[in-house]
Order: sequence, then C-alpha cells, then structure tokens
Amino acid sequence: MSSTHTRVEVQDYLARMRTALADLPDVEISEIMDDAGAHVVEVADELGEEFSADALTTRLGTPEVYARELRAAAGYPPAAAKAEVPPKPVFAARFAFWSLVAGTAAAFGMGIGGRDGFPLALLVAVFVVWSIVLLNRKEPLIGQVGDLPETLALKAALEQAEQGPLGKTIVYLRSLQPAWWLARAFLIAISGLVLEGIGVVFLFSLALAALALLSGPRAKTDRRWLWVSLPAAAFAAGTLLFIIGSVIPNTRYNDSYPTSYAPVQRTVPSNVYVFDKDGKALTDVYLYDEDGKPLDSSFYGCGEDGREYREDNRYPRPKVDYDSRGNCREIGGVPFAVSIPRTSSFPSSASATSTPSGSVTPPSSVSEAPPTAPTSK
Amino acid sequence: MDTSQLLKGVLDLAVLAVLRSEDGYGYDVLRRLRAGGLDEVGDASVYGTLRRLYNAGLLTSYVVPSEEGPHRKYYSLNEPGRQRLAESGRTWRSFAHTLDDLLGVVA
Repeated sequence: MSSTHTRVEVQDYLARMRTALADLPDVEISEIMDDAGAHVVEVADELGEEFSADALTTRLGTPEVYARELRAAAGYPPAAAKAEVPPKPVFAARFAFWSLVAGTAAAFGMGIGGRDGFPLALLVAVFVVWSIVLLNRKEPLIGQVGDLPETLALKAALEQAEQGPLGKTIVYLRSLQPAWWLARAFLIAISGLVLEGIGVVFLFSLALAALALLSGPRAKTDRRWLWVSLPAAAFAAGTLLFIIGSVIPNTRYNDSYPTSYAPVQRTVPSNVYVFDKDGKALTDVYLYDEDGKPLDSSFYGCGEDGREYREDNRYPRPKVDYDSRGNCREIGGVPFAVSIPRTSSFPSSASATSTPSGSVTPPSSVSEAPPTAPTSK
Repeated sequence: MDTSQLLKGVLDLAVLAVLRSEDGYGYDVLRRLRAGGLDEVGDASVYGTLRRLYNAGLLTSYVVPSEEGPHRKYYSLNEPGRQRLAESGRTWRSFAHTLDDLLGVVA
C-alpha cells in the first residue's frame, strides 16, 4: 500500500515526533512510537493519492504539535526548553539583568521617598547608566540577557499570569500603556519642579521625562530601552504613591483622632475641696464626670493593718495621721476656709435651672460603681 | 461552550467506555469515539490517553501482526479498568444529574 515515496515523508514525520519526545524514558518512547507510528502510517494510507507531507500535517498537525498534545493527554511533563544546550551564564548579561532589577528598585525607593529619596538617584544612575553602556557596546549581550535562566523564569511567570485569572486585567492594563507612558513622563517632570523649582534639576528632569516617554514604545522592539523604561516606571509609581501618601495621612489623623481607642488617663488632683455658695465646706461629696463615670482616684487610707489602698470618688480625702502609739488615723474636715465672691450676675436660681440634665447621675453607672463606704473612722 | 475543554475531563471515561465490549487498537478507539459523536477529539489526545490509562494499570495490551503495514497494538480493559469505568460512570451520572438540576433552576 504505502509506496517508498510516502514512506520518506512518514519517516521524516515520525523522526521529528521522536525528537520532540526525546526526553522521555526510552520504553515510553518506543511504546508511543509503536502506537502513534502505526497511526501516522494509517492516516498516510488513507490519504492515498492526496498524500503529501503538507496533507499529513494538515490532517495531524506538525509532529511537534502532535507530540505536545500526546504528552499533555498522557500526563507527561511538557518538553524541557532547550535542555540540550544549557546557556552558559554570562557575567555581563547577569550584571545587566540584576542592575535593571536593582536600578528599578532604587528608582521606586527614590520616588516613594520624596525629598528623602533623592540620594538614591546616584544608585539608579550607577546601575542604569553602566548597564546601558555595556548593552550598547556589545550587540549580542541583550540576547544573552534574554537567555538567562532568571529572565526565562520571569518570562514564564508573566506568561502564566496572563493565562491565569488575572489575564483579562493584564490585557486591559496593557491597553492603557500609552496613557501610562504620558503619565509617568509628567510625574518625572513634576518631581523635578517640586524638588528645586525652576532650575537645573527641573531641566534635567524634563530631559529624563522626554527620554522616559521615548522609552515606552521603543522598548517594545528594542529591549535595551527597558533599562530606561522600567526604572522610569518604578520612579513614577513611587512618586505617585508618595503623593497619595502625603495627602492621605493628614485627613486620616484629623478624622479619627482616637477618643475611645486608648483609655485616657483622667487627671484628678490628689484632693478636692468643695464649698457651697455661702462658703460652707461640703464633705462626703461624690464626683462624676460628664459621662456619669465616677472620678476615682487612688488613695491610701487607714485599714486594719495600717495603711490600706482604696480607689473611689469620695472627696475630700481625709488627712492621714498617726497617733503616739503609731496607730493610723483618718482626720476629716477642711483645713482652710474660703470666701465665695457674691455676684448678682450669677444668682442661685439661675444656676439651679441651668443645671444640665447630664448632672443627674445616671443610675446605671451608680449601680455599677457605688461609692465605697469608709472602712474606718 | 467549548466542548474540547469538557472533553479533557471525560476523555478517560470515554476511552474506557468504547473498550468495554471490544478490544481495539489506537485508531479503532479513535474511530469509535468519533462514530459515537465526539467529533472534536484529537488524534494525539486519544493516543496519549491510552498511554496514561495503560501506565495506570487499567488496560492491558497485546500486539497483532498485520499483513498490510505495521503491526497493531490492541488494548483491552482489565479488571481494575472495569472497576474504574463503573466508578467514573457513576461519578459522571451524578455530576450530570446535578448540573441538569442546576440548569433546571436557571431555565
């Protein structure tokens, strides 16, 4: 059935398939070639007069595609990329790659640091300029950078991200790229203006902005422009975050000053003396704040075994003294007298009516913290 | 809806099913699947699936010499293969039933 003529194409097809499976165990390869080899021959026979290498490829796909589909269905790992020629790690290429990473990171730090980030400019300049000089001196260097294992890993990760759930977002963001190129050039120019006003720095930042604007579309075709484009993007992104960051904290601090976040230490004087409008001293008064909370303060009174710690809101505190036998005594009373100025503008009736309802001690808080009864005296 | 995506999940079951009553070589299996209505099934996918099922111990194989062209490797369902077919069949039916119910709610 199969003429010698068809066999050459078929053998060629099978040979290419075998190559595409070459990294699998030998037993597997020979089993697959038994099966699939028979299949290819059979398909070739079916084509009959129509047979040609092209017809076979149309019917089955290229041998590489066939092999890939078979591997996927059989659960074999996908073919290792270029396993036969491991790229020799090239120092200069590696330096250029990691300089790009470092330069981009430093540019980001420079942007987000605002004025404080300015010294990082030196770091960015060293990395970026050195790499660009290197890349322009040796033509093949950029290709070597592309073949670095770290570059390949990064590319693979990006491709995977594009196929993942974020794929649509990435495609959408990519469509915004030209706008971003404009925005970042603007941000770079502005940052120079903010830093020094109109002067040498501003002129310099204008030049950089123009370069950044150019680098966006250029980097698509000439990867060397990435060494300008990526740090520019990182710097612009950092600057943007800096601007956002310097606007937001102001409002945040004003809005939510912690009123109840941390318990504010109430300052209660160590003792309080209260007099009525006639200058008569009042004793055993209980003090509350505007929320009805007792204005407790700590106090060492007398207990059964000498001094005793209390914390309540009963004022004035008695004076603590010791008698000749060393016993603790609490002495009440007010050690001084005052004269209350009589003012007609502040009549007693007015003060009574203007007493706000809040001064009525909420019963709940009283029941929660009843004034403690004196323990001794 | 892209049936090729659906097919990926159930190709095992389909291949086991067409080998239930009669042994077959790769191209046989492919033809039976297509005849059964799975037009979109890829040649290489079927051969890959056969290899995987064979490596998983669900199929046995034997070679039959052919007068015309190369010899053919036949696959047949062994006992684990039959068990897997029964299990997967149940899983599929219950899955299909669940999805039918869901679609009933939607429609």
